[in-house]
Amino acid sequence: MIKRQNFGQIRILEAFLAVIIIFSAFAISANFTVTRCNVENDDLASVGLQALMQLDSDGSLGKLLDEENWKGLRETLSLALPAGISFNMTVYNEQMQQVNPTIISNGALIGQKTAAVEYVCVSRNPLFHCYVIYLQLAVAK
Amino acid sequence: MPATSVDTFFACSLMVLLILSAMAGASKILYPQISNSVDEFAYEKLMEIAKHLLLNPGEPLNWGQDSQVVPEKFGLAKADAEAYTLDIDKVSRLNSENRFSISYAQMFASLKISDVSFRIEIEPIFEASINLTATFHTENETIYQFEVSTEKDGVPVEAELKCYVVAENYLGANQAYALNGIALFNVTLSEDVGGPALLVVFAKAVCNSRMVSFGAYCFEHNLGEPQTPGTFLRLSSLNHTLEALFGYQEIILAETYALTFNCFSTLAKIADENQSATYSIPYLQDSSPILLVVTGRNSTNFFIEWVSYPQVPLQTGANFESLSALSNVFAYSYIVIINNALYQCKLLLGGPR
Repeated sequence: MIKRQNFGQIRILEAFLAVIIIFSAFAISANFTVTRCNVENDDLASVGLQALMQLDSDGSLGKLLDEENWKGLRETLSLALPAGISFNMTVYNEQMQQVNPTIISNGALIGQKTAAVEYVCVSRNPLFHCYVIYLQLAVAK
Repeated sequence: MPATSVDTFFACSLMVLLILSAMAGASKILYPQISNSVDEFAYEKLMEIAKHLLLNPGEPLNWGQDSQVVPEKFGLAKADAEAYTLDIDKVSRLNSENRFSISYAQMFASLKISDVSFRIEIEPIFEASINLTATFHTENETIYQFEVSTEKDGVPVEAELKCYVVAENYLGANQAYALNGIALFNVTLSEDVGGPALLVVFAKAVCNSRMVSFGAYCFEHNLGEPQTPGTFLRLSSLNHTLEALFGYQEIILAETYALTFNCFSTLAKIADENQSATYSIPYLQDSSPILLVVTGRNSTNFFIEWVSYPQVPLQTGANFESLSALSNVFAYSYIVIINNALYQCKLLLGGPR
């Protein structure tokens, strides 16, 4: 039996319990929200993919890869991407061996949140080659 | 007052106080994340609208070609073309300098999304700027030294240059190369050639033949002074025709040219009225913008007017600079194809906060 004198103390306990419940509800719901960095990453990936698609639309991307013109590839991407975006590109052949011996990049991506795009490009020569392009993008700081 | 009542009152007060402070604290912690969630929804929604603008031709499909048609549904894509290929006439009609342009109100109404305002900016992938650095006079001719710089956001672009010089009854062409984004070359004009003269430069990026920029520079020659563009003629290009609307009564048109990186052509007049003339623009198979140059005389003065086809660079739509505090504005950048050349298209879309 609970004595009438203890009712006040029990209500204090109830108050604490209520606060814990409310806090934990908010804490759990916070995990369901999406943070801003995802928006930026999606945006970057979309920009990168669209640029690669447009460069590939007339076969010029495949031509640069066939010619192993890494400098041209870097300059083309620098022009195609909006200002303030740094990139790092790696090209693989059908056997997933890295093709580019030099870095195709316009700036370091260290310490930045990056977005990645994977794009398959087929060159249009009579002896066509298949390339897998792995493009990392970040907003230059 | 009994002791239990004091306890109850104290407990209730403490409970209310703690709950209120918990709610205030929690809302303060969660607000940025809730806000980001709303931002992400708005971002995705507006990105779909941006894509819709560039991937759909609108209705009617050829609304760009007919100057009398206002689109029922707004879209800039070229019908039956690959993704992100824009119609040259639809793009030209976005430019307010074109006589057949559609207003932002018409674009907004035809988009049929009442809570989204937008701005469209289209320009070449990189810039080509021209400067006259020196002039040398000799007995029978004048030598003009020009510097052309090709760059994107301050970064030099290696480019091949094709230069045209247009003056009275004169058209000359030569080539140059911008090694580190800079090219220096001379233009020599005889004293027999009437001025002013116009230098047109097309710059093609070495790394990609579809990245072409252009610039035009009108300069004084043989006492002929350049005038502000649009003084004598208002030029509007649409559906592969060029309309020249006279700014003065007594205007006599002379040669009219269509210039691209690889070729040039003299335009044929297809209609000649009291205060206007219409020319047919040939279908040039060149990955390049077309620069249309019209020469003529206004009673005593020789003049040169020009316009590009597609009529870019252009900026049209809502002005977000003053509205940035009131609405969420997102910018989307795309590479688009117009007349087989690549351009940068920036779409700014904003909705209610």
